[in-house]
Amino acid sequence: MKKVLCIVFGCGLLLGTAVRVEAGDPTAEEIVRKANRIAYYQGKDGRARVEMTVTDAQGRARQRVMSILRLDIGDDAEQKYYVYFHRPTDVKGMAYIVWKHPGLDDDRWLYLPALDLVRRIAASDKRSSFAGTNFLYEDISGRGLALDTHELAGGDDKTYEIKNTPKDKGTVEFSYYVTRINKDSFVPVMAEYYDKNGKLYRRMEAVETKEIQGYLTITKMKATDLNASSSTIAIFDNVEYDIGLEEDVFSERYLRKPPFQWIKD
Amino acid sequence: MLDRMVAFALKKPKIVFLIAGILTVAALAQFLRIRIDTDPENMLPENEFVRRFHQEVKKEFALYDYIVVGVVNESHPEGVFNPQTLEHVYDLTREIGRIEGVIAYDMISLSTKDDVQGDEAGSVRFQWLMHAPPYTETEARWIRSRAMDNPMFYNTLVSEDGRALAIYVPIKEKKLSYAIAGKIGGLTQAMAGEEQYYMTGLPLAEDAFGHEMFVQMGVSAPAAMIVIFLLMWFFFKNARLVVLPLLMAADVVILTMGLMVGLGFPIHIMSSMIPIFLLPICVLDSIHLLSDFYEEYRLFPNKEEAIRHVMRKLFLPNLFTSLTTVAGFFSLSFAPIPPVQVFGIFVAIGVALAWLTTVLFIPAYVALMDASRMASFGVDHKEDPTGLEHIILEQVRRLAVERWKLVLAGTVLVVVVSVFGLLRIKVNDNPTKWFSPGHPIRVADAVLNRHFGGTYGAYLVLQSQDETEEVFLDPALLNYVRDLQEDLLRRGSVGKSTSLSDITSKVYDELLGGGKKNRVIPPTKEAVAQCLLLFQNSHKPDDLWHFVTPDYGKANLWLQLKSGDNRDMAKVVKQVEAFLTEHPAPRPLAYHWSGLTYINMVWQDKMVVGMFVNFLGSFLIVLLMMVILFRSPLVGLLSMIPMTVTIIFIYSMLGFLGKEYDMPVAVLSALTLGLSIDYAIHFIERSRQAYKTKLNWPDAAREMFGPPARALVRNALVISIAFSPLFLSSLVPYKTVGFFMLMIMIVSSIGTLLVLPAIISAAPRVVFGHLDPGKKISRCACGQCMLLAAMLAAAVLYVLLGYSVTRWNVATVIAVMVVAVLGGACFIAGRIRNRAV
Repeated sequence: MKKVLCIVFGCGLLLGTAVRVEAGDPTAEEIVRKANRIAYYQGKDGRARVEMTVTDAQGRARQRVMSILRLDIGDDAEQKYYVYFHRPTDVKGMAYIVWKHPGLDDDRWLYLPALDLVRRIAASDKRSSFAGTNFLYEDISGRGLALDTHELAGGDDKTYEIKNTPKDKGTVEFSYYVTRINKDSFVPVMAEYYDKNGKLYRRMEAVETKEIQGYLTITKMKATDLNASSSTIAIFDNVEYDIGLEEDVFSERYLRKPPFQWIKD
Repeated sequence: MLDRMVAFALKKPKIVFLIAGILTVAALAQFLRIRIDTDPENMLPENEFVRRFHQEVKKEFALYDYIVVGVVNESHPEGVFNPQTLEHVYDLTREIGRIEGVIAYDMISLSTKDDVQGDEAGSVRFQWLMHAPPYTETEARWIRSRAMDNPMFYNTLVSEDGRALAIYVPIKEKKLSYAIAGKIGGLTQAMAGEEQYYMTGLPLAEDAFGHEMFVQMGVSAPAAMIVIFLLMWFFFKNARLVVLPLLMAADVVILTMGLMVGLGFPIHIMSSMIPIFLLPICVLDSIHLLSDFYEEYRLFPNKEEAIRHVMRKLFLPNLFTSLTTVAGFFSLSFAPIPPVQVFGIFVAIGVALAWLTTVLFIPAYVALMDASRMASFGVDHKEDPTGLEHIILEQVRRLAVERWKLVLAGTVLVVVVSVFGLLRIKVNDNPTKWFSPGHPIRVADAVLNRHFGGTYGAYLVLQSQDETEEVFLDPALLNYVRDLQEDLLRRGSVGKSTSLSDITSKVYDELLGGGKKNRVIPPTKEAVAQCLLLFQNSHKPDDLWHFVTPDYGKANLWLQLKSGDNRDMAKVVKQVEAFLTEHPAPRPLAYHWSGLTYINMVWQDKMVVGMFVNFLGSFLIVLLMMVILFRSPLVGLLSMIPMTVTIIFIYSMLGFLGKEYDMPVAVLSALTLGLSIDYAIHFIERSRQAYKTKLNWPDAAREMFGPPARALVRNALVISIAFSPLFLSSLVPYKTVGFFMLMIMIVSSIGTLLVLPAIISAAPRVVFGHLDPGKKISRCACGQCMLLAAMLAAAVLYVLLGYSVTRWNVATVIAVMVVAVLGGACFIAGRIRNRAV
């Protein structure tokens, strides 16, 4: 099952309306696949202005404000992202492009305007921090369904509880994670990560959902690092779907010249 | 009053012991509430600036106190960078992370840290330094090269020669370090490999010391008691009688510690030393009495008469030796260091209790003894005493009385030479050095500081004086910090330092292709900010916040020192000061120090200076008491001479031997004073008693070198031998105590038996003038009045100053109460004396 994380950036923008579950509980694989489909394959493109506030153990807050553009490529799971930083002021103009290739390493580029440098970010794994927030890079680009085994571990009236265990334990820092998926909408509402000692250390939550252009959209997400006692809240504003983005925008050329027709500076 | 007390004890011995028994049981019951505090940081009051600031800095930059685990492989050609050792390090790191009390999240180890790497092709990669144990030597070498290339890890995590690497284990609380180190020790023992494991770090040294100290106390105090018992048995040939001083000493220790625990004071490192201090003091009191009882037993018709006589004769000297010791320790309550105050006050209380038990228990015990069993007891006065002891004492007497000019000249010479020794004393301390060189922590300290930049951490927190935000994004400031780091490294006291400048220049370097190591800071504020945002895309973005606050308003420079010596820390503080003055910062900077190494420097400085000031105070108080006791300022001053010579001599030995003036040495000055003045009191007081019957000094001296001198020598022997096992201790402060006991006993007994009689021989009338028949005590001897006035003024001034610098707390309140009690005791003693004269 795709984690809540992907919802934040990808799926979050494009989440479809609720899909009713057929009579009787589906299997874990079916739930995961459905949630994944809703998360990834609704709509064609989208954009949002995202405000992330990181609050550390001492209550000190720091902010990141960015615009995110997203486009689905073909009928496959291929996707492209453009992330443009508005704030902090010193990093204004920094931009990422991500080409997501399910099953393969993603392509990532970064632009640093102060040095006028474009650098390819080599992906050794996807579980590094996204811009110093409590969200991980994998929360943006998504985690391949085939990387984990999924089992229905329980749940209640409203949610399914799925336990996801990585097939290759060596590549990740968690031993497993548990997702809660809304039975009606198939929206993942919570994901909890357990470390190699079986201790809960990380949590992702969908805090607020709204319907936008007929798509159910998570507009407020929270990621908490229980070890560091820090958390990040991401708020999605100005969410729009099907705006007619072109693939050209997601090329290296546009890193140096941001597509201001799509991004309000 | 004394007679009544002794008579009561003789008449109702069982009641005396019954009351004592009840009190002892009550004291023992207090031990149920025992609280133990092994943290030397508590030497400073909790609200002390440097402590509060340290806590603030730890919170602000998410820092912890570290245990340093070192892994050294000297046999493999690649050092620690071989698959097997690295696998062990990987496993060890994971297992340590599971130990309760370890902050696994912030551990610094090859397998918990992220590396950034750029290449010429224009890509930047973030990856774990050691995500999994390497399979091949090539992989191991790659890890080595990445770690060496990173200024955050080089010389901190990996040694320059690749033979050692470190795991920094952050712990929740310092007091957990000993237990955690024990568990880590268990883990490393299970790792069979070519590599060796070491553990050190200040929190561990401090906590381990606290623990081992208690163990040592449990071993050495009883050992000393057994030796004392055997020696006294040898001297007095009556096991039943000599067991008493030991029982009394044990009882005094129980009562004192029980009172302390009962009043809610935790047993701190300092107060755990109370038994070892009380032991010799208690024993000394009773040896004087028993020795005289032994000498004179046969001169009296029965044991009750004998003990009554001895008690009467020795009452004043005993009272005053106790009072001076009380004063010596009590003056510690002026120290600005809470545990030292508690220590001083309770040793003082213990000494007072020891006096009380001596006065009550000895007569009571004698009353209970079966006279028939004492048939062989006592000196047979029909024969002239012979034997080695007698011959030596006779020689000493001749030397002191007949060739006193020579003795005094010798004394002056010793003092002059000693002053040179005093000048060579180095004030220094380092908790790691409280362990003997062979102790595992000391060994680890030596090995790891040879390999790494240093295991002693200090933090220099910099902040702008006018702006509060984003100042540390300014490249000019980052360059300045980098220059400061390079300057410190060049001067040699700092082995390694890490700062925001290192992170920034590392990321910048990798962005530009990597491998240049020239520590260039990006040109603009925006470029710095963007490099740092890029850094935050790593697996460990929070590592940034150990070195700067999220608003970039304060920066933290982590310094690693190879030595935890106060002097070395002080040197670094001076170097930083010098750099900041000589090279004005691009923006006006304020700075503060933090970190355990720095805190230790602060409290040790305070302690050493404080103890010296206290010592002066004790000296004054004891001097005043001597003036009161001997009814003459001049005699009072003279009586201080042997003790002063003793102290000057012992401390000059430290200077000549190169032993540093550290915390234990500082505390021992009070003991030296309290113990060595005792001999002078006994000697002068009893000389006067002898003079009263003989009416000339040479004859009185002859009597003095009989039983009184014997008691003194036996005393010295018992204590110095009893504490010699301390030399075997693995804790250096215990060795120091052993050394001091030995020196105090030897030097002050020589001083008293040689210097004091020589002084009296030079001017007997000063000491005995008022005892000559026909001579009247001069009511106004102006010189003496002036002397007395000066002493009083000095004492008043000292007390005033002492209390104005010390804040009021429980300890000082008790202290003031003790002053009142002391005053009362003096008054009573004075009245008793008046009647006697």
